[in-house]
This record gives sequence, structure tokens and C-alpha cells, in this order.
Amino acid sequence: MNKERLLEVRGLKKYFEAGRPALFSRDIRKVHAVDGVDFQLRHSEVIALVGESGCGKSTLALLLMGLEDPTAGTVTFEGRDITHLNDNERKDLRRKIQMIFQDPYESLNPTQTIEEIVNEPLLVHGIAKDKRERDERVKKAMEDSGLKPAEVYLNRFPHELSGGQRQRVVIAAALVLEPEILLADEPVSMLDVSIRAEIINLLAELRITRQIAVIFITHDLGSVGFFADRVAVMYLGRIVEIGTMLEVLEKPQHPYTKALISVIPVPNPRLRRKRIILQGETPNPIDLPTGCRFHPRCPVAISACKINDPSFVSRSNSHQTACLLLVK
Amino acid sequence: MFVLVLNFFLFRVLPGDPARAGVHDPRLKKDSIEAIRVRFGLDKPVINCFETLNPIKLGSCDINPLDTQFFIYLKNLVTGELGISYHTNRPVATVLAERLWNTVLLIGAGQILSITVGAFFGVFAAWKARTAIDYGALATSLVVWSLPTFWLGIILLFWGSANGLPIGGKATPGMSSAPLMQQWGDIARHMILPTVTYTIVYMGEYMLIMRSSLMDVLSEDYILTAKAKGLGVFQILRDHALKNAMLPLVTIIAINLGFTVAGAIQIETVFSWPGLGGAIFEAVNRRDFPVLQGAFLLIAVTVIVANLIADLTYSYLDPRVHTE
Amino acid sequence: MEKLTQKDNLPSSTQFSEFWRKFKKNRMGLVGLVMLAAITFVAVFAPLIAPHRSSSILNVGVSDIYKAPSAQHIFGTDDAGADVFTNFIYGARVSLTVGFFAAFISIVIGGVLGIVAGFFGGRVENILMRFTDIMLVIPDLPLMVVIVALTKPSLLNIIFVIGLLGWTTTARMVRSQTLAVKSRKFVLRARAIGSSQFHIIRRHIFPLVTPILVVQAVLVVSLAVLNESTLSFLGLGDPTVLSWGQMLNYAFGRGAMSTGAWWALVVPGFGIVWVVLGLTLLGQGLEQVLNPRLDTHHLMPGRPNVKSTSVALSRNETQPASGKSLLEVQNLSVNYVTEGQLSARAVESVSFTLKEGELIGLVGESGCGKTTLMLALLQLLPSAGQIVNGQVLFGGRDLTTLSDDEMNTVRWSEISIVFQGAMNALNPVRSVGDQIAEAIKKHLTGFPSDKISTRVVELLDLVGIAADHKDHFPHQYSGGMRQRAMIAMALACNPQIIIADEPTTALDVMIQAQILELLNSLRTKLGLAIIFVTHDLGVVAEMCDRVLVMYGGVTAEYADVDIIYNEAKHPYTQELLKAFPDLTRPKKKLSSIPGYPPRLDALPAGCRFAPRCPVVFERCHQEQPSLHQMDGNRHIASCHLLEASK
Repeated sequence: MNKERLLEVRGLKKYFEAGRPALFSRDIRKVHAVDGVDFQLRHSEVIALVGESGCGKSTLALLLMGLEDPTAGTVTFEGRDITHLNDNERKDLRRKIQMIFQDPYESLNPTQTIEEIVNEPLLVHGIAKDKRERDERVKKAMEDSGLKPAEVYLNRFPHELSGGQRQRVVIAAALVLEPEILLADEPVSMLDVSIRAEIINLLAELRITRQIAVIFITHDLGSVGFFADRVAVMYLGRIVEIGTMLEVLEKPQHPYTKALISVIPVPNPRLRRKRIILQGETPNPIDLPTGCRFHPRCPVAISACKINDPSFVSRSNSHQTACLLLVK
Repeated sequence: MFVLVLNFFLFRVLPGDPARAGVHDPRLKKDSIEAIRVRFGLDKPVINCFETLNPIKLGSCDINPLDTQFFIYLKNLVTGELGISYHTNRPVATVLAERLWNTVLLIGAGQILSITVGAFFGVFAAWKARTAIDYGALATSLVVWSLPTFWLGIILLFWGSANGLPIGGKATPGMSSAPLMQQWGDIARHMILPTVTYTIVYMGEYMLIMRSSLMDVLSEDYILTAKAKGLGVFQILRDHALKNAMLPLVTIIAINLGFTVAGAIQIETVFSWPGLGGAIFEAVNRRDFPVLQGAFLLIAVTVIVANLIADLTYSYLDPRVHTE
Repeated sequence: MEKLTQKDNLPSSTQFSEFWRKFKKNRMGLVGLVMLAAITFVAVFAPLIAPHRSSSILNVGVSDIYKAPSAQHIFGTDDAGADVFTNFIYGARVSLTVGFFAAFISIVIGGVLGIVAGFFGGRVENILMRFTDIMLVIPDLPLMVVIVALTKPSLLNIIFVIGLLGWTTTARMVRSQTLAVKSRKFVLRARAIGSSQFHIIRRHIFPLVTPILVVQAVLVVSLAVLNESTLSFLGLGDPTVLSWGQMLNYAFGRGAMSTGAWWALVVPGFGIVWVVLGLTLLGQGLEQVLNPRLDTHHLMPGRPNVKSTSVALSRNETQPASGKSLLEVQNLSVNYVTEGQLSARAVESVSFTLKEGELIGLVGESGCGKTTLMLALLQLLPSAGQIVNGQVLFGGRDLTTLSDDEMNTVRWSEISIVFQGAMNALNPVRSVGDQIAEAIKKHLTGFPSDKISTRVVELLDLVGIAADHKDHFPHQYSGGMRQRAMIAMALACNPQIIIADEPTTALDVMIQAQILELLNSLRTKLGLAIIFVTHDLGVVAEMCDRVLVMYGGVTAEYADVDIIYNEAKHPYTQELLKAFPDLTRPKKKLSSIPGYPPRLDALPAGCRFAPRCPVVFERCHQEQPSLHQMDGNRHIASCHLLEASK
């Protein structure tokens, strides 16, 4: 077992059934939501999973959390495959991997107080039987999440807090279990611009103070800033490019990544750049294109792209891209 | 299909021997009771196999399944025959058929009126939301919703009899020889009070639904778009709001058809209107199971058909359903 | 870290007191509660209140039957010579008992079935809901009549029959509420924590289903009371107890009509109406409090504009050297008024000028009043909104003084608007082409009707939608296509100005880029002037000529785009830029602005940015800064520091 690797995802696939194309048709159409994803996560590392809607990033999050069962592939956490666990094992695992959702208005139960929300994971897992110890842990998790002093917030209801504060409550409810991985699904996209940075900075702080690894899922590479160590770009259920943040942002190899980066608005009117705007929209994941699944929208596709499905080409140890044009 | 089966067993599970109750005469000799049973097919086991399911009369598996009450019931259904009334000895289908049209007349007129009046005030209340008109309409509909149907009927009867309206029945005796136009006029006069009762009782609900549905639609963004397009108020109501707001109403009307039978029973009892509701009520008192069974089947089928029509209307009105 | 305001230290209200506070304001609910309390009081203390002993059929002579109301019998006597008022009081006991117990049975069955079906879904749900449907198909009153008639007519039986048949609506409503709650993110979060299903139902589903259940319970009680009285009236009641329905049955059946004894018929009925109306009002009141819905809509008449100051205003901007000004907004202020009281000063003294072919960006965070400002330009404010000051000059007219009919000639034909989230901005039951054609028919009156269809196809082509999508409905379009269709619609009448209110929010970056590119190309092709509302500083930098930064309803800064990004003077603009990630500058550390934007109904006293401002000083908390003009009026900012530096 490699100490370095906290989480290893290999050949992960999830197909959903989408009904039959015709009433009496024999075959059932499948949505290829996640279609062969591989990556590793190291201790206290931040990885950003970037892609447009329909690329499978949210399904991937649910798979990693064990909230959906994969069709194929493995997820190894601390040397153990976690895709086929029984209920008890899965419950134990939940302590190690926690999740933050996009909409802090929706992810808190409006009838619970903040204390009940943050305390709930401890009760569910039967951790810290002693009330005082529980209170201690709740308080620490809240203050680590920036809800200081915790007493002020304990008896409040979610609707009494601002969006930023609510997202902190969600983070506190995750931290209270002392997880090793935080899965953040678009954690800032619903927040005001002036608040976003503080949530990102908070996550950045947690990886240092608590050695938590973060999987940051987003459709907007711009919102991650340079907070992530590595970036994986997803298209139609697969990772098409993965590398360190600087490698991907400064030397993107895949035409999709190049386009994606070029359209991120830059807050500088003196830098109005040439954008590569892809036409059309991500095709539906039911009828996948042949060959490279990006070829119908690719501005530089060659005829071979229609036939051959590219495999990864390494530019450096950390930087891999799946594109036929890079094969020499 | 399920309804047919349920309908059948419902009336076998209920206590009270149909043969006994149906005849109401304890002095009858045992063999005459048996004769009655044979006459109505009650000597046969209800269904074969399920012997453990007593207390209903069930037969063992040895019995020919075709010779059970259940099978005969099904067979008769297929041929459109609903059995014979215990009480009048006439075919149930005939008994119900003559009653049915009276009820259809009453419910039909009442439904159309209550929907029209209710929807009209609902639209008006929603459009003029939070004004005196709205509050007035709301209060009225809540009050009429709270009125027990039969009581309203009684009160109207009181008022009607004081004002010379006919107070019971469907036609004045002896009218059958009068010219057709006069006969119809007479029926119409008899219908006034029952129909008004019906309309008042049901319009409140339709108004409330129409109001809240239209309120929802009118607060949608596309109404703001329509306003930004420079359309006038009437144009927006007509072209952008009414169709969308009709959708919930269609569903409710269909579901309500079943419930309106409840209203029909009460109204028909109060006004001695010779309809289906009255027939059910009489049949209950006389333990006339074939009639009851037939009436329930009729109602259930009507409600199912109504729901089917509602679904079709819905998908006609809402492209989100028919283009999927 | 976020600063805590005074309000944060107040003890938090409990949920019940919160509920009670709202309920007290609900007149309908209160009236219902009082009506019920009164009748319950009567029922409980019946022996003390009743003027005669119950069933006082002693010493009945013929003359005692149907005696008219008198001092001794205030509501007269009935067919048995008993006091109607006494019977009425005792009847309340029966009705309420039956109502509450039967409803209890119904609510428990309906609640359990609804939650189980909704939560577990799949086959369980299928079976339960099919069963419910069948119960719905069989009309319940006739069924009750049959069952009650065929069993022993006792009160207990009636309670059970009504209870066992009255749960269907509850089950359906609870199921749909359960489904709605189940799909919410906090249930997914509870699963992610590792909660068991039982825990989720108990702690997360049930508390959110309760409001529905409470309202439903009240309505079911009223139905049970109605059903009991109907059954009794039909002669199927328990002959040993005298309920209101029973009283009516006896009176109706035993000649009250023919003797004209209206009291024997009116009084018991009045009792039923009283109870049912009380319950209905209470139910409606609870519904309004527990499941609040909007009670405003877009067709409610707006408030007339009232302007405190005269029209002669000093112009904040000199006429710019180049380009004709198209739209001039001067000192526009909008208030929100609820229940006759000023609830928010949403926009205050905002001025800007839009020139021909110019693209002006309106930037601000949620709740800064930017959408209110845009709606005010077109006089589309919700009914609570009111323009209290300022002018909107367009084509030589002040739009704030026009009537609704006059405005309708300006809307869309001169100024059109593209809303955020085009899913809801398009009517779902009409085809897209039809909705575009509608605008043409309305405004281009001379337009030949046989050419409209061609024009619609042209417009769709202009925004990159194929002609065969013309007759499709909005739900068949993707998010990006809907926004394109919305733009095509906005172009339909060749307007001079398009207001784009967050047109790309909630779209993917690539789709956003497509839409922005489209707007840009249309702008050059058609010479459009555009007001672009957004919270995204990056988009503004890429698109706009001039930028208006709003904060808490006022102008923070207004200048050319280059000045805003490179020489911003207002601390808010500066801080906002620091908080915005810039992928071209990897070294830059993101900083956040402490606190959160003010709510427009609770604005700070002085400068609205003061509580979050890094360079705040004493004066900022007391006095709202005025607009300072720099660079020959090309640059405006509202900050006390600018005055100090002068």
C-alpha cells in the first residue's frame, strides 16, 4: 500500500438506464454518466475536477461518496476497495469522506438549529458519548470553520444566517467527524462574489491545519483560482487532461482544455483575448460519438479522431492528455 | 379490472345475508329462502379454491370454477348484464338506466354552472388580488364550502316553497300528457332548486382552485416577459395565463366527479329527485345488493373514464406532456 | 472572519414562538380558532350551559311539539317537544368527538402511507399508490352509507368508517411532500453523513411534512364533521345519541317543513356550518402561515410614481463629446412599500447615460438593487415598488410620467429585455416561434401577416437556431438555446436598447461565451445599445464600454471600464476586484470582503458599505457620501475619502 495515495480511482464507470428507444425494442439505452475515470488523490492534496454540465462530475462525486453504486471499476481508499461495502463498513467510511454541496440554502434542514446540524453526525455515528465532549467537538468544528464565537450561532436556524455563514455550517458539520477527504461540489457558485474567496481560503486553510484532502468539483475553472494543486478536466464522462494547476492553465494540451481556459473571463479590460468558442453543446451521454468523444466539436480534429479513441499521452510525470494529435 | 373484482367482493364480505335481508320476511320458510337463493344464484359458492377465506361462502377447488358467483358475475358483466334487483325483480341495468339520466342531468347542469361561476370568480379574484373583490370572493367561497349540502337544500326548499317553486320530484304529476315543450319547461322548473344547491356547494372549491392556480401563473417570470413585451392586461390573461391556470382545474374536476355522487345522494334525498343517488340510498335500506353493485360499478367506471378524459385534456393543454 | 452585528447576539426565537407571531397576524386563522374555541367550550361545559336537561322529553303534550322560540325555549322545541337549544349544545359534543377521532384515524393512516410510499419509492410506492387510487375511484360517501347501513349504527362504527375512508387525500399530499423533501440536498447530506433511513425519516422528513399534516388534519376534521352529519341526516346515525345531523333528520322527516318550524332545521345546520367554517378558516390560516405562498403577482396594479422633488434637476453629467445619448437616467429612486409602510429603499439616486451603440455594464452583488433599477426603467416594478424620485429620459419623454398604455408602445418596440434563466421567462405551453410572432403582431402593426413566419425564422437564424425548432416548445430547448430564443424575441421589433439582466448566470462557461459572443456580434451588426446586468466582473471587463457599480441600492462608482479596473477610487470596487480570481495572475492571493451585502430592508445609517469597508472612518457611519465627480464627469464615485483628498 502506497502511503502517498489516499484515494485511487480506477476505471470507474456508471451507466444509468434511460428506457428503451422504442416500445418493444430489445436493448435498453444507457446514459454513460461516468465512463472510465482514473485518478489518484494524495494526502492533503487539492484536486479540481472541471467540466461542463453533463460531463459526469456530479455522478462521480456521488460514486466517491458511495451514494451510488458504480457499474464497473474500483475506488481504493487507504488500500481498500470501497465500492462494494456492506452498510456498516460504508457508515464507517462516511467518517473519512465528507461532502459539501453547491447550495447552502438547500443543504441545511430548515427545522434544525445550527447546533443540531453540527451535532447530528456525532449522534449518527455514536461518537463522543459524553455530552461535554460532543459540545467541545461541535464548538471546535464551528470555530475552525470560521463561525466564531460558536455560542452565538448554536441556537440559530439556517434562515437567520447569510449564504456564506450557511456554507460554513455545512463545512463544520463535515469537519466534526474529522474526515480525511472533503468532496466539495460547486461550493461557491451560489455565493456572492465578495464571499467566494473566504470559503476558498477557508478550504485552503483546512488542508494545512487539518491535513484534509479536497476534491473540488466545479464548472468554472475561474472560480477555483490557484487554490488547487492539480486539475482534471472532464468531458462526457472521462478525464481528458490532468496535470498540476500551472501545467494545465499555462500549457493546456487538449483542445477542449484550451477552449475552456480561453473563455474564462479575465477581469482586465486591457487583456481582451482571442477566445476559442466551441460551437454547439455537449452531446447527450446516451449516443456517444465514435472515436474521440470530443471530435464533433473539436476545432482541430483530423479524420483519425473519428475512429480512434485516444489514450493518455504524458507530457511530464504529472501531466497527461488524451488527444491523438499529441501522439508522435 | 381491479375495481371489478373489488366491487364484487366488497358486497360479499359485508354482513347480512342478502337473501334474508332482501326479502324482509322472517316468516318465510326455509325452503322458500333456498328458492330465492337459487333464483339469484346465491346457492353457488362465491369463488372456488380460497376455502380459508371464510366467512364468505367459498367453495373448494373441486367445484367447477365456471359455476361460481364470481364467474357468473364476470360473465354477466361482459354481456352488459348487471344482475337482477332483489327488491323489484327487474334487471339492474334497467333500474339504473332510468335513474342515471336524471342524475346526469342534475350533475351535468350543476357541474357546468359551478365550474363556470367558480372559475369566473376565481379568475377575477386572482386578477384583483388583495382587493375587496378578492377578499369578498374568498370569504364567500369559504362559507359556501362549509355548507352541508343537504342543509343548504333544506333551506332552499324552505325558500322555494314560499316562492312557489316546485319542491320535489322531477315533474308535476299528470304532465306526461302535456306537449313536449311544456314537459321540458316543467322539468326545468323542478331542476332549479336542486341545481342551485349543487352549484352553490361546489363553486367555492372551484373558485379557490382557480384563484390559487392563476395566482401561481401570474407570478411566473413569463408573465413579466409578456408585460415587458407591451401586451395589455386582457391579452396577457387570455394568451398567457388562462391556459396554464386551467391545468390544475382539469384534474380536480375529474377527481371531483366521484365526490359529486355524494352531493347527488343528499340533494336527491332532500328534493326527492329520482336519480342514482336516491337509488343507492334506497338499495342500501333494502339490502338490494345487485343494484348497489351495479351503481358502484357505474360510478367507478365513470370516474375512471373521467380521469382518462382529464389526462387527455391535460396533455392537449400542456405540450410538456404530449411532446415528451 | 465575519463581523458580528448587534443583531447576532439577540437570543434566537424558538420555532413555535415564531409560528405564533405569524399566526397572530393572520386574521382568517384567528377567527377560525376563536370560532372553534367557542364551540369546544360549549361542548365541554354542555351541562352547565344548557338551559334544560338533555333529552327532556318528559311531560310532552301535543302542544309542546314544534313550539316557536320563546323565552323558555329560545330556539323553540322539536318534534318530540325537546328544547332545540339544549339539543344543539349536546349535539356539539357528538360532532366534535366524531370529527376529531375519525380525523385522527385518517391522518395516522394517510400520514404513514404517504411517508412510506414517498420515501421508499419503487414497488412499495407503486402498490400503496395504486391502492390509494382505487380508494379514490370508489366514491366515499356512498361507500360509507353502505357500510354504516350494513353494520350496527353506533357512534364507534361511524367514527371508524369515516376514519378508515377519509385518508386518501392526506396520503397523496403527504406523499408528494415527502417526495419533494426527499429530493432536497439536506437529505442527501444526511445520507452522506451516514444516517440510517429511520433517522432520516424522523429527523429530516417528518419535521418538514408536519406543516402539511397539520393543515390537512384540520381539513379532515371538517370533512369528518360534514360526513357524520350527512350520515345522520340520511338516518344512518346512532339512534342513541342526538347529533346535529340526527336532529335535522328527525325534523326533516317528521314534518318540520310542513309545520313551518324553521328553527328545528336552521339551528342544527347552523351548528354544522359554524364548526366546519371555523375549521376551514383555521385550516386556511394555518396554510398561509405554515406553507406561505406569494400573494402578489405581475398583473397587480403598480403604485403611482410619486416624486418628492421637482423635475428641474441639475444634470450629473455633461453631454459626452461623441455619440448621441439615447437613454438618460437621472437621480432615480425606488422604494418598496409593504402594508403601507416603507420596507426598503431599493434604489437611491442612481444616474447614468446610455449612448447609441454603447454597452454599459451594471455590476453588483445579489440584493444591490440592480434588477429593481432595470424593471423601473420599463415601469415593470412589482406592485410594492414605487418610483419616488428621478427621471428616465428616452426619446424626449420622461418614461416615469407615462401611463401604462403609453408605456406599452415603448416596451419591446423601443426597449426590450432579456431575463435571467430563460426557462421561466418563456411561456411553457406556447411554441417559441409563436411567442416571437406575438411581439411582432403587437408592435409592427403594418407588418404583412404572411411574412411573420419568415421573419421569425430570420430572427432565429440570427441567433443561431435552426428553422425547424420554430414550432418547438421551450422545454424542448436546452438552456443555452432558450437564452438565444429570448434574445431573438428581444430583437423582434428592432428595438434601440436591449436590457440583458444576468443573461448568462446559471449557464456553463462555454455556453456563456457563446451567448456573450452573440450579443457582441449583434451589437455591431445592428448598432444596438445594451445595458448588461451581471455580478461577474470578468464578463464586464470583456464586454463593456462603461461600468456602473452598485452597492446597497446606490451608485458606488461609475466610469469607463478601463478606469474601473485600473484606477478604481471606491473601496468597494477595489475590494471586489481583489476578491475576483484572475487566471492570468497566478501569484495574486484572493482576499474576501468581510461580512455580507446589506439587506435592502435593513440598511446601515451612513455609507452603506461602511460596515465592511477596510478604510472606514467615523464620518462614514453617520453620513451617506454624495457622488464625487472626477475627470470631467467621466468618473463618479461616492466615498467620503474622495472629499477629504480634495
